[in-house]
Amino acid sequence: MIKVQDLKKVFKPNITAVNSVSFELERGEIGCIIGTSGCGKTTTLKMINRLIEPTSGKILVGGDDALSVDAVSWRRKIGYVIQKAGLLPHLNVKDNISLLSKIMHKEKNFIESRVEELMEIINMPYAQFKDRFPIELSGGQQQRVGIARALMEDPPVLLMDEPFGALDPITRNSLHEEFWNLNEKLHKTIIIVTHDMDEAFKLGHKIILMHKGDIVQVGNKADFLERPANQFVEDFIKGQVHE
Amino acid sequence: MNKLLFLLLLLGSFKAFSIEPLIIGSKSFSESLINAEMLAQLLESKGQPVTRKLNLGGTKVAFDALNHGGIHVYPDYTGTGYVMILKKNGERDPIKVHEIVSKDFLSKYDIRWSKSLGFNNTYALTVRADDPKFSYANKISDVSGKLDRARLGAPYEFMERQDGYKGFAKIYNLNYKPSNLTSLNAGLMYNAIKDDQVDMIVSYSTDGRIKAFNLKILKDDLNYFPPYQPAFLAKTNSFIKFPHLKAAIESLEGAISEDEMIEMNDQVDRLKQRPSAIARNFLIKKGLLEGSVTKSQKDQGILSFMISRKKELMKILGEHLLLSFVAIICALIVSIPLGVLLTRKKRAAQIVFPIVNTIQTIPSLALLGFLIPILGIGFAPAVLALFLYSLLPLVRNTYEGIKAVDRNFVEASRGIGLTNMQILLKVEIPLALPIILAGLRTATVIVIGTATLAALIGAGGLGDPIFRGVATVNSNLILLGAIPSALLAIAADKFIGLVGNAFVSKGIKLKFERQA
Repeated sequence: MIKVQDLKKVFKPNITAVNSVSFELERGEIGCIIGTSGCGKTTTLKMINRLIEPTSGKILVGGDDALSVDAVSWRRKIGYVIQKAGLLPHLNVKDNISLLSKIMHKEKNFIESRVEELMEIINMPYAQFKDRFPIELSGGQQQRVGIARALMEDPPVLLMDEPFGALDPITRNSLHEEFWNLNEKLHKTIIIVTHDMDEAFKLGHKIILMHKGDIVQVGNKADFLERPANQFVEDFIKGQVHE
Repeated sequence: MNKLLFLLLLLGSFKAFSIEPLIIGSKSFSESLINAEMLAQLLESKGQPVTRKLNLGGTKVAFDALNHGGIHVYPDYTGTGYVMILKKNGERDPIKVHEIVSKDFLSKYDIRWSKSLGFNNTYALTVRADDPKFSYANKISDVSGKLDRARLGAPYEFMERQDGYKGFAKIYNLNYKPSNLTSLNAGLMYNAIKDDQVDMIVSYSTDGRIKAFNLKILKDDLNYFPPYQPAFLAKTNSFIKFPHLKAAIESLEGAISEDEMIEMNDQVDRLKQRPSAIARNFLIKKGLLEGSVTKSQKDQGILSFMISRKKELMKILGEHLLLSFVAIICALIVSIPLGVLLTRKKRAAQIVFPIVNTIQTIPSLALLGFLIPILGIGFAPAVLALFLYSLLPLVRNTYEGIKAVDRNFVEASRGIGLTNMQILLKVEIPLALPIILAGLRTATVIVIGTATLAALIGAGGLGDPIFRGVATVNSNLILLGAIPSALLAIAADKFIGLVGNAFVSKGIKLKFERQA
C-alpha cells in the first residue's frame, strides 16, 4: 500500500537528517516510527507528506508516485494529524473538520453529511459538538477532531506526528483503545511517529526504530523483545519500557 | 498612455466651460483673514466664484502655495516680502521697499504686488502704559542697556527673521537675559503682557488690543523695522484668467486707514466678531458692496455658538472625515500587504521598519512643510502626511500579529494541503485580526487628531477654527474644532472596535477571555 524507498534528506549545509529509510506497509496496517529526538523520524514523516522535500528516494502510495505530483495536491490526498491536533482556534469543530473540503469547493450537502458521519465515528455527537470551538474541548476531544479532520477526504494513508503526546496518561490509554478499534473498521494505512515504546507496542503492527538517520530494526513487538537487532535496540527498549 | 492624456485634455476642456473658482489664501491672523475676506466678497459680488484657503500656516506656506499654484492670490506685507522672501535688508523708505518687491517678484516669480491697502502694520516694542518700570520711556533708545530684568515675549517668526530679534537687540543694545526671552503665538502674547506674564512684547502696530489693553508703543527712533504695507500678491496670468481680479484689488488700494484696521482687528480679536462679517460691514460702509451692516454678535455659550455655526461645522466635519477616511483606507491598502510581506522577507523588514519608524518621529508640521514644495497645498499633501503617519501602527501590528500566530497552526494547515495564500487568508489573517484591528484603531485616532493640522496647509477640516481661534484668542472657535475632533476620535475608535469585533471569531474571543 505504501512503499518508502531509500528516502534521504540532507539539510544545508551538509547535515544528513535522514540517510536511507525504506519500509512498506499494507492496507490497514499501522506502522510506528520510533526513536530518540533527532533520529530523523519526524523528518521522514514530513517527507512522506512532502512538507519537506526529499533529497532522494521514492514514495509510492497504491502505485502513485508522491514526487511526480505537486506538493499541495499530494498533501490533500494524505491525512495528516499533528501533536495537540493543530485545530485552528478561530474555527468551530465543524469548520475545522471541513476546512479542506470547503477550500476544494466540495458540495455543501456532502460536507454536511460527511462531517456528521465522522463525528459519529469519533464518538462526538454532531448536534452537541459541531458549533464548539477548540478552546471549549478537552485535549482528548481535540485530538479526536484532529483525526476526523484528517479523515474528511477519505485518504488511503494517515500520517500522525506524536498524536497522543500532549495528553495525560489516562486519556491517552483510552484514546489508544478507541483508535485501535476505529482502524479495525476503517482499514487505513497509518504511520505514527512517537517516542513512547509502550505506544508503539500497543498500536504498531510494524515498529520502525530509527537512530541517527537510519533504520536500526523493523518488526513487531515480539521481534523487538525476543530478537533485538543489537545492543542499541536492547538499551532503547529497556530505557523506554522502564521509563 | 496616449488615451489617458487625451481623456485628461477632454476633461480639462469641459472644465473651461464652467467658471473656474479663484482661490484666495490668507495667513492665520485676523488682519490677514479680514483683508482676504474683503477681496473674496468683492469678487463674489461681481459673480466670480471664490474658494477660500484661509489660515495658511505662515509666510512660507502661503508664498509657496501662491508660487506653485495652490492659491491664486493672498495678502502679504511689503516688509515681509522684502526681508523674508527676498532676504534683503537696509532700505526703510516705504515707497522704495514697495518698488523693490514689485520689481524683484515680477522678474523672479512672475508675481505682481498691488499698491498698498493704506495702513502700515509694522513690529512695535510694546509695554504696559501703566508699568512704573517704563514710565520714563517713549522711544526704544530710552530702554537701551536697562533690560537685564525685563521679560520679552515675541512671535515665533520674529525670533527667526532677518529683521527680527538679533539685529534689533544689537542696534538698540537691548540686554535681555536669554532666559527672559519667550516665543509665543502672536495671538496669545497680548494676554500675556496684560496679565503680567511678560513685561514687553514685540506686537503688531495695528493690533486692536494695544489700545484696548492700555499698552504703549515705544517709538522705533533708529528706524530699525522696515515698512509693512499690506498688498495683494498674484501671478500675472491670474489677472488674465480672472477678469474681475484687477478691479477688485484696485478698489481696496489705499482704502484702509490705520485706525480703521486697528478697529477691525479689535472687533475680531477682542470682541469675537467673525472676520467675514467685519469685512462685509467695512465694504458696505465704503460703498463697495450693497446691503446693510450686520450688528455685532454678543458673547455666546459654546453650545449656542456651535449651533449658530452649524453650517460651517458640517462643512469642516465633512472635510475632516474625508481626509481621515481617504488616508486610512490608502494606509490599509498599503500596510496590510506590506506587513505580510515583511513577515516573509526578514531582510526587507530590517530596512522598512527603521524607515516607517523615522517617518513617525518627524514632527507633523515639519512633514507638512516638506510636502508643500512637492504637492502644493490642500487635500493631496494633507492626505499623504496622514497616510504616512498611519503606516507605522498598521504595518507594525500586521507584522507582529502574523508573527505571533502559532507556527503549529500554520504547519497543520500546510500539512492538510492548504496553499500559502490559503494559509494567509484563512488562518494567519483571521488569527492576527485582533492585533491588526488594534493597529487600525491606533492609526485612526492618530489620523483624526493630526488631521487638525491639515488646516495649516489649506486642506480645511476641524483644525480650521482651532487655528483661527488660537490666532484670535477665541476659545469658542477653538472648541468648535476641538470638541468635534475629540468626539470623532473617540467615536471612530469605538466604532472600529465594535465593527471589527464582529469579524473576530468567537473562538478567539473565548481564548482571550480564558487567558484574562
